[in-house]
Amino acid sequence: MLPPTAIGLLLLELLRRSGPIGRLLDRAGIEVLFTWKAVAIATAVMSFPLLVRPARAAFETIDPRLLGIARSLGKSRAEAFWKVALPLSWRGILAGTLLAFSRALGEFGATILVAGNIPGRTQTLALAIFHRTQIGQDAEAFRLVGVVAAIAFAAVWLTELLQRRRGRRETAAA
Amino acid sequence: MIGLDVRLPLAGFPLAVSARFESGAVAVMGPSGAGKTSLLESIAGLRRAAGKIAIGGETVLDSERSVDLPPERRRVGYVPQDSLLFPHLTAAENVRFALSREEAGRRLFDEAVAMLEIEALLPRYPATLSGGERQRVALARALAAKPRLLLLDEPLAAVDVELKGRILPYLLRVRDEMRVPFLYVTHNAGEALLLAREALLLRSGRVESAGPAGEVLSSRRLAAIDPMARFDNVVEGVVEAAEAGGPARLRLPGGEVLRVPSSGVAGEKAIYSLAPEDVLLAAHPLDRVSARNVLAGNVEAVDLGGDDALVRVLAAGVAWRAHVTREAVRDLDLVAGRPVWLAIKTQAFRPIR
Repeated sequence: MLPPTAIGLLLLELLRRSGPIGRLLDRAGIEVLFTWKAVAIATAVMSFPLLVRPARAAFETIDPRLLGIARSLGKSRAEAFWKVALPLSWRGILAGTLLAFSRALGEFGATILVAGNIPGRTQTLALAIFHRTQIGQDAEAFRLVGVVAAIAFAAVWLTELLQRRRGRRETAAA
Repeated sequence: MIGLDVRLPLAGFPLAVSARFESGAVAVMGPSGAGKTSLLESIAGLRRAAGKIAIGGETVLDSERSVDLPPERRRVGYVPQDSLLFPHLTAAENVRFALSREEAGRRLFDEAVAMLEIEALLPRYPATLSGGERQRVALARALAAKPRLLLLDEPLAAVDVELKGRILPYLLRVRDEMRVPFLYVTHNAGEALLLAREALLLRSGRVESAGPAGEVLSSRRLAAIDPMARFDNVVEGVVEAAEAGGPARLRLPGGEVLRVPSSGVAGEKAIYSLAPEDVLLAAHPLDRVSARNVLAGNVEAVDLGGDDALVRVLAAGVAWRAHVTREAVRDLDLVAGRPVWLAIKTQAFRPIR
């Protein structure tokens, strides 16, 4: 995986007004760089890989014959996916989402490059901690560390809970 | 009409099955690993086979003409060995899976639920159902989709256990009341003979024999290729009111009355299974024996195999199979046409339902 700052720089190149995507956005009147939208894009790009792995693992545990049965009952491939594959793997998808969310909370390098560090606009918790220490407000920084730690801990705990307690009915059937 | 010409490469050997069935009641037998399940999956469209498959006049597969209907357009109901109910749905939701919410769907649902007697199971999740119950729900789910053809794969485990949970009695109802054509995989020749008019015997992916069930499932041939095959006697009759203090009575279609363990309500149909080991043969009329069922009949055929023999006897309109030793065959001089007497204990009959 590339360093976050490298990804940030690539995103910056893509999204700048003269960049390939930035040009289209500019024409549509959408401003992205140095707004909350840039924060969202940067954190999404950085944390997406963490969503993919648990989600894929969940899909792979589904007996493919279940999808075959769904189709022999008259459902199309897409319907079989929505009605069988998705409901049977939602735990994995949710676990991945929470994992990705935790990663997004800590994202720093890519965010600061494409969104800057504008208090009240694009300053994330991670950026705010950095900012406070820079201006000597260590007590304030520690308070934020407490907040971010609580959120991250809750997310990881929820993930563990979901992965361990794989609904009574589903495991018993396997 | 079911026309099969299926070719599919499998791990050990290629599956190559060519057969044609007219009756719509077909038993599929053969040893484990002969390709029975693969054949069903090919027909359902869950495996990409080459060749030709026609169901009731419609071609669902014809690789020469590039016809290969996806499973959702074949209208083939498949009940696999392990039932494969959707684990995240209740029994009711499973049965309703194929249905629209309209009036017609509601009626199909009610019909399937009543036919398989799964009313009480509807709110439960598959993990809480027994193997037999799961099979019934899976069959109801397949029926509710209004299939043109049913494919049933009876679990091998059911050969020895769960006699009460067998799908057989329900299948008889489906055959007689709904008239959906079916292919039924079983390891029990007795059941196959009761249920099917035609049979397909597979061995290593090839057709060992196909045609009228009675001929295809002759015990010698089947026993030679499937050591797991059972030749239970399966009798169907109508329950009669028992006499005070006496055992239950079952009237066979031929009129003869058997003494059986009680099961079911007087006036209703019942099915009993009887192991061939539990049938005694006598060369002379029996007098005052404890076995409550003594029937006079004639030997139809004797299949010798190793130290054992399976003797087929026609008595009371039923072809009974008795498993005896070779020595007994010699001592009683059992040959085709010889009159014999069958003695069967009441307790030897086991109700399938």
